[in-house]
Amino acid sequence: MRLPRRVPWLLLQCAAFLLALWAAPRLGPLWGALFPDVQRPVWDQRGWFSLLGAHLLLSVGAVAVAGVLGLGAGILATRGKGRLRPPLDALFAVAQSVPPIAAIALALPMLGFGAAPTMLALVLYACLPVMRGTVAGLDGVPSAVLDAARGTGMSAARVLWQVELPLAAPVILSGLRVAVVLSIATAAVGAMAGAECLGTPIVVGLANNNGAYVLQGGLFTAWLALLADRALALAVR
Amino acid sequence: MIRFDRATKRYGGRTVVDAVSLEVRAGHLCVLLGESGSGKSTLMRMVNRMVEPDAGRVMLGGRDVAGVGPEQLRHGIGYVIQSVGLFPHWRVADNIATVPRLLGWETARVSARVDALLELVGLPPEEFRSRYPHELSGGQAQRIGLARALAADPPVLLMDEPFSALDPGIRRGLQTALRRIHGETGKTILFVTHDVEEALLLADELAVMQDGRLVAHGTPAEVLGRDAGPVVRRLFGDATLAFHRLGTLPAASAARPGPADGTPALPPDATLKQALMLMLEQGTDRLALPGGTLHLADILAAA
Amino acid sequence: MAQAHSQQRSWAQNRALGALAPSPVPREATAAALLAALAAALPFMLGWLSLAANRLVSPKPVGLPLQGTTGVGAACFVLGCLGVALLARRRALLPWAEAMAALALVALLATVGLGAGAVLEGASSLARAAPAAGVWLSALALLLAAGCCAAGRDETSGATPTRFLAIAVPGIAVLVLMGVLDPLSLLREAAARGPELRMAILRHLAISAGALALAAAVAVPLSITALRRPRLEGALMGMANGLQVVPSIALFGLLMAPLAALATLWPALRGWGIGGIGAAPAIIGIAAYLLLPLAAGMLAGLRQAPPDVLDAARGQGMGEGAILRHIRIPLGAGAMLGGLRTAAVQAVGLATLAALVGAGGLGTLVFQGIGQLAADLILLGVLPVVGLSLCVDAALAAAQRALAPAGQRG
Repeated sequence: MRLPRRVPWLLLQCAAFLLALWAAPRLGPLWGALFPDVQRPVWDQRGWFSLLGAHLLLSVGAVAVAGVLGLGAGILATRGKGRLRPPLDALFAVAQSVPPIAAIALALPMLGFGAAPTMLALVLYACLPVMRGTVAGLDGVPSAVLDAARGTGMSAARVLWQVELPLAAPVILSGLRVAVVLSIATAAVGAMAGAECLGTPIVVGLANNNGAYVLQGGLFTAWLALLADRALALAVR
Repeated sequence: MIRFDRATKRYGGRTVVDAVSLEVRAGHLCVLLGESGSGKSTLMRMVNRMVEPDAGRVMLGGRDVAGVGPEQLRHGIGYVIQSVGLFPHWRVADNIATVPRLLGWETARVSARVDALLELVGLPPEEFRSRYPHELSGGQAQRIGLARALAADPPVLLMDEPFSALDPGIRRGLQTALRRIHGETGKTILFVTHDVEEALLLADELAVMQDGRLVAHGTPAEVLGRDAGPVVRRLFGDATLAFHRLGTLPAASAARPGPADGTPALPPDATLKQALMLMLEQGTDRLALPGGTLHLADILAAA
Repeated sequence: MAQAHSQQRSWAQNRALGALAPSPVPREATAAALLAALAAALPFMLGWLSLAANRLVSPKPVGLPLQGTTGVGAACFVLGCLGVALLARRRALLPWAEAMAALALVALLATVGLGAGAVLEGASSLARAAPAAGVWLSALALLLAAGCCAAGRDETSGATPTRFLAIAVPGIAVLVLMGVLDPLSLLREAAARGPELRMAILRHLAISAGALALAAAVAVPLSITALRRPRLEGALMGMANGLQVVPSIALFGLLMAPLAALATLWPALRGWGIGGIGAAPAIIGIAAYLLLPLAAGMLAGLRQAPPDVLDAARGQGMGEGAILRHIRIPLGAGAMLGGLRTAAVQAVGLATLAALVGAGGLGTLVFQGIGQLAADLILLGVLPVVGLSLCVDAALAAAQRALAPAGQRG
């Protein structure tokens, strides 16, 4: 029961993150000192909190959709004689060969600039770890346990719900954790396609040779991903 | 109670169970004995429809199991397997309560039943009730597996090499416990094993399988008789068959009635094997039994 | 249990007797057949070609002129799809089904190229023809069908359709060389940017390979050292994991500043190509992400040898160096190559972002395309990236299969 001690610690880290976001526009001298060549080192084009909100909406929304899809696909892949498994494996292999930026770029002509192509790509990429975790978790349920569960006369749905999913939960959750971290980090790439998020300062900074913007955007995106990783690590336990 | 009627199962091109007909009477403990791959587990798993026969049928209490929904059928059949298969995320009490809960028993009745079963399998309820499976030894886990199988008081138990993975001492303890529980509850038990000692210790009836066929069936004494076929001879060891046979015969039946003569006395339920061992041990050729005397010649005649 | 056994047995039989044995239909058959059917139907449902009067107006779908060579191509394509579905019904024929999927893809593209030629005949030279959604999705369905067939073949390399790529890539190259695909706008774009495209591909490969080499130079010795030092292993894996969280574009950008500072301090470094802008930040940044798959694969591979084998080796007087060379590396080669495979695929993908820091590569075309919202330009950048990743993955999968220890080969 180490939970109670860790939860306040995590909340404290979240508070520090929010405080840093609030302080960022007020730390002109710091950014100026770090990047003496940059004319306007303080990011002030959009509020950090609105960027954070958009970033979370994009990434968490994508993971929510992907969680449902990935879990469903993972369950389906392990039902029956595993007939659905080969196409899902094949999809996984192909998707791994398409970098997120390529997926975003491909969706762009169809969906136009903005959050939509990024959302599509994020859902696609977040699905994969969830699905893989679900399949691995369900595969990991000892066959003796399944045999015993069926032998006691549990229905297939009950075996899934009461035995398989609870036993697979840690692996599924760790897949979800990967999905969240991945999609928070990848959402930043979406700024290339015009999605408002914490990646926007990075892209603006790269375009204008403004290292201070890149640093601020990168710092907060990475920090957010780390926080989410910690929070989900707590949930897995 | 359980009747196999030309039950057959094929996998790919191979016949794993080949037209086996076998009847296990109510209240008997029938041991299915055979080497691995002989089809004994497959045959047993047809009873609770974990395996569906390709031909033939399996009757349980006069009804074809194919006509009963698998889940409903399994609620009425206890099932114990070698690897136990306790649900690792549930406490011992929840594991035992699986079927009663599926049947919708009230909480109080369930917990009373759990405690009674823990007593029955020889584990103190207050100590074990709320443990998790990973906190149990192998022998304890299999006792819980047995308790779970008995939970809803099913008339029939299927046991698939339940003790094979355990150390010899612990195995013996569980075998004795099973004999006692069988005596107390009068369940019909189908017990699969490849261990001949275990088979002889437990069996009321012995069914020997080889390559998917039933090659011998009867009481242990019948199966191990002088006319035993080659498969039985090989399984029990040609040289030791007679010795095993002595273990299936009660000493009292071979004794000469009359006043007890001879110094060392045998308990009333001793087998001829025990009698012979005692004679060898004591260097004597006659033993006293309640209500009779047993001579070495009687043993030779009986074997 | 018994079921699994008998499945294994029948599988072994099929392998031994080839197509002659009466084999149960593999589980991949259903999915492969459905995908093949989908592939065959999609161009007819969603269109083969779209035509735009010029580069600026949005394209409209046009019918495929199904006479002459175009019709023959379409017929070959449909027959190919049918062949995939039929061949996939036997386990022993799965590799042929995979190959057939590649032929169907080549036929599909040939049909589209020939059709585009026919459609454009007599049209203005500004008119542009492109494959319609049906063709793209059909190609994807064929790729997935091939993946299914590959998944049924062996476990180690997963669903990477090595055989499919080995036929489809040269097949498409032949189509390009013969000029069959020339009427398509994508090929016109490629022709217009020929030298630029070739340069970008070479540059992309150089960046990926450089990053892979740099990451390996760090990860391999560190993993071997960390094998028996849990604290070093913790630090290595912690760092490798932590780096994954940093958004790639941020990392590249952030590396620019310190590298520029270094180059200012020691101008000699510029001679080596190290500076704030260019390949250096991209290669270092990509290498940072590759540490995780490489180190994880190395460590997993080094730990592949079972403890009793190691015990026996030590008992016979083998030193740690000999154990590493004769036992750990041969037994773990598969897992190590698996890590290398993941890393190589990631390297090719991440190199797309290298263009952001002025390093060039195929990302240049992608970002230009994004800027102009030009689908053809985006495709011109993305398709080679995807093709390269698939080929790298397939080649290393084949290597993984070949290097599996003899005792463990399926």
